[in-house]
Amino acid sequence: MRETKSRAGDPLQDETTEAPQPAGKLRLLWRFWTRRIITLPEDRFFLFLAVLIGVFSGLAVVCFRVAIELTKLSLLGSTLAPLPLRVVVVPTMGGLVVALLVLYVFPQARGSGVNQTKAAVYISDGYIPFSTVIGKFLTCALAIGSGQSLGPEDPSLQMGAGIASAIGRRLNLSQEKVRLIAPVGAAAGLAAAFNAPISSVLFVIEEVIGTWSAGVLGAIVLAAVSSVVTMRAFLGSESLFRVPPFRMAGSAELLAYVVLGIAGGAASLAFLKWIVYARPRLQAMPRWTHHFQPAVAGLLVGFIGIWLPQVMGAGYPIVDQALHGQFTWKLLLILAGLKIIATGISFLSGTPGGMFAPTLFIGAMLGGAVGSIEHHFFPSLTGTVGTFALVGMGTLFAGFLRAPITSVFMVIEVSGNYTAVLPVMISSLVAYLISRRYQKVPLFDLLARQEGLVLPSIEEQREQTPPTVEDAMEKESALTVQPSESVSEVARRAEANASSSLLLRVHPGEWWLLDRDEILRLAADSNPSSKAVHAKAKGPLPYLFPDQPLEEALRWSQDWPVLPVVSRADLGQLQGVITLATVLETFREPHTEPTASPDF
Amino acid sequence: MRFLHTSYSDIPVRAMRSDGVFFLSSMVSAITDDTPAAVGEARSYTRERVLFFSVLLLLLLLVFTAFAARLYHKQIHVLADQWFAQGEAMFKAGNIAEALRDYRNGLVYAPDNRGFQFHLAQALAAAGRSEEARSYLLNLLSETPGSGPVNLELARIAARQGNMQDALRYYHGAIFGVWDIDPIAMRWQIRRELCEYVLAHGSASQAEEEVVALAVNTPSQDLPGLLEAGKFLLRAQLWPRALNEFQLVLAAEPRNTKALAGAGTAAFRLGQYSESLQYLSRLPADQRAAPAIAEMIATSRGILAADPYLPGLSAAEKARRATRALAQAESRAAACAEMKGEPLAATPPASALEETFASRQEQRLNWRERSLEMHPERLDSAMAWVFKVEDLTASQCGPPQGEDGVLSLIEKIHSGRNP
Repeated sequence: MRETKSRAGDPLQDETTEAPQPAGKLRLLWRFWTRRIITLPEDRFFLFLAVLIGVFSGLAVVCFRVAIELTKLSLLGSTLAPLPLRVVVVPTMGGLVVALLVLYVFPQARGSGVNQTKAAVYISDGYIPFSTVIGKFLTCALAIGSGQSLGPEDPSLQMGAGIASAIGRRLNLSQEKVRLIAPVGAAAGLAAAFNAPISSVLFVIEEVIGTWSAGVLGAIVLAAVSSVVTMRAFLGSESLFRVPPFRMAGSAELLAYVVLGIAGGAASLAFLKWIVYARPRLQAMPRWTHHFQPAVAGLLVGFIGIWLPQVMGAGYPIVDQALHGQFTWKLLLILAGLKIIATGISFLSGTPGGMFAPTLFIGAMLGGAVGSIEHHFFPSLTGTVGTFALVGMGTLFAGFLRAPITSVFMVIEVSGNYTAVLPVMISSLVAYLISRRYQKVPLFDLLARQEGLVLPSIEEQREQTPPTVEDAMEKESALTVQPSESVSEVARRAEANASSSLLLRVHPGEWWLLDRDEILRLAADSNPSSKAVHAKAKGPLPYLFPDQPLEEALRWSQDWPVLPVVSRADLGQLQGVITLATVLETFREPHTEPTASPDF
Repeated sequence: MRFLHTSYSDIPVRAMRSDGVFFLSSMVSAITDDTPAAVGEARSYTRERVLFFSVLLLLLLLVFTAFAARLYHKQIHVLADQWFAQGEAMFKAGNIAEALRDYRNGLVYAPDNRGFQFHLAQALAAAGRSEEARSYLLNLLSETPGSGPVNLELARIAARQGNMQDALRYYHGAIFGVWDIDPIAMRWQIRRELCEYVLAHGSASQAEEEVVALAVNTPSQDLPGLLEAGKFLLRAQLWPRALNEFQLVLAAEPRNTKALAGAGTAAFRLGQYSESLQYLSRLPADQRAAPAIAEMIATSRGILAADPYLPGLSAAEKARRATRALAQAESRAAACAEMKGEPLAATPPASALEETFASRQEQRLNWRERSLEMHPERLDSAMAWVFKVEDLTASQCGPPQGEDGVLSLIEKIHSGRNP
């Protein structure tokens, strides 16, 4: 609305005042808020971005899941057991199309997505081309929708990372932030796919970043939460699986889950070894065969599907049936075995798709089978077959994907049930230890190395014990001097003691360094005074604690010839000293077992 | 210039909006000036622009996702309903295998639909796959612990599996659970089912408890219910309560044949033979001819004709009945001795029966009809002898029949034992 006040007879003196129109108000509001957001310090702006990335990833995952389901409905129909001809033709043709798309349009869409995200963080400074997101979306929707035995979670993780990377690049974030933004998106994508924010945060930290960095943890949590909230707004908040109630009568029953852990460890090994053995061989085949590998995989999966259509696709409804004790132990074992074969075939053929859902499937079937057999011999076991199936999911997740902490939380989140936490912890640990004992390199590291990438192994990092100050500390090589001592007294003690370093303790927590030779020279003078001791000291010295990482000591060791190591309980109590030479010598000593050889 | 080392080459100077003068000026200053402030302004411009397009894209994606999700949910709902309806039709047609397949297909598209889960569980139970049905039902029960139908299905499964403790628990859960349609009638029906179950499998005390609860919870206007409760009370041998239930029915419908038969039976079991005969004789002839009813009528008549203790009898009649009872007992003892191949009148008496028979000889004069009429106090000793003979012969020669049976029942009535 424009108001005009006119002074009579003087049009040039018209005074025009404008009240903002609705559109103008909106613009002003927009300007106000955007200015406030973009002028935020980088760290806070990063948190804002995490929410934005979470919402984008959540929407993308919703569309992805809808696309998979609609593809499946239109290609395979709505029944759990489609007609045999469809079961064979659809995955074969789907595989052919996927192969062409991957080879000629979206070459980076190949694989599960976890390693690609790790590679983005550690190799390409957080760069993931947006075409990868589109490629992953299209090829995975077609592959999984047409019945290939793969899951949507790992692709969702990579899509989230790709979206985050694109946003980060467009916003001209610092190099460090762009590198960190991919895991933020990865957590968002995985959280929305699993409807499990805690597990996704843990997985990204456990498998992608490897450290609990406070700088990125907040952003990862925010992104995961916002993506899950977005996803739930469209697809509902129900947990992935409905689990019958379970009550464990006594701790002795945990032994039953140890058996499941052993079986899960063995199955994980079998699955891992099958991929380790076959992948390089299939990749080494002539390039023209790569055009047909996904189609052949589809054909083989289809043939299995004629007999047991349960092994096709991600298999969530089948897992739900297993959780409700719908299958006999024989069928459960067959399904577990065939799913290992079918997933291996689909994955090894280069068809894009994830390993998470098949892992859960195999675990559920194996768990159900073990539970049924144990129930046969020990009918008094209170855990139902469904409980064993649930625990089996976590077990295989820990054994195959080697993410033991994630596995425990994932079981809680996907089932919405806390009661199985102790069995899952026991069983997962056993499976993890077995898998690690007989397969040194974890799956994702293995796949990366087969592709010629040497990504940091988070599992190896976890197992390394970094040297501490205590390892480099010399206990008897320093002499503590009090300010009240005279130069002659100090010189006498220095001569009597073999210690090369003289440390003057002014106050608890304030240490100064004395030059031994200078003190001896002063003592040789005619009239040394007690004040001269303090006057000749250099300091104050930075002090260290025995448990501090040696890396921190290295920083100070270059500036000072000797550094005091004091007790945390009493800053005036000297426990030893370190020098640059001892620090370097300690670093040269081996502190961990040598990492796995490149031949795996 | 430091700004050249940054990646601002993608800043389009001409992509200005009407209010973009600020951005243009900041861009120009950024290009010509490499101070941190200028670089910061250029970065701000880029960020604002990207944020604007991000929000725009977000809105578009939001709309698209909402549309796609709506389409998806619509299709899913349609498929779920179709499969469920097909499953229902198959289940009703008795094609359980097909029904199971259809219910499962329906559950794929509505995994949280409790109705589908419940129907699948019912179909599984009908197919004899109790453990699988139980698993679904337990899941449902954890979500709706007070559900009447779920408790009832679990109770039936437990009953089939012979797990009485669980069956009773779930039956009670069903009785006190929530029912959407006609809860009172449903609860009564479940009590009835529970009574049927405990009478067939449970102990007497459990049966009594449940049957009494059924009777207590039957409204006095509900005549079919009262009849049903009366039948269960008869089966639980709770005769007075059963008689009471049937009398309630007869008060409203005096000619109700089921109530007459029930009341007659209950009165008979209570030893109220006169009352029993009254009820049973009001039945139509064809029902009176039924073996069980006819036997009760005959027995009641026999007792009413033979019992010397019935009130209102003259001394002569009492003596006559006692004399007839003595003669009957004597012949029963003789028949029993003959069957065993033993002499009845051995000297000295070797068995309890012979001993008892010898005491009869000693009292022969005292227990003559005339003597008993003159000395009514001798009636008790005479009848005590009769009852002793009936007891002995019953233990040695099998259960009494006919008039001997009547005498046994008379003994039970007057000894305070339940006839």
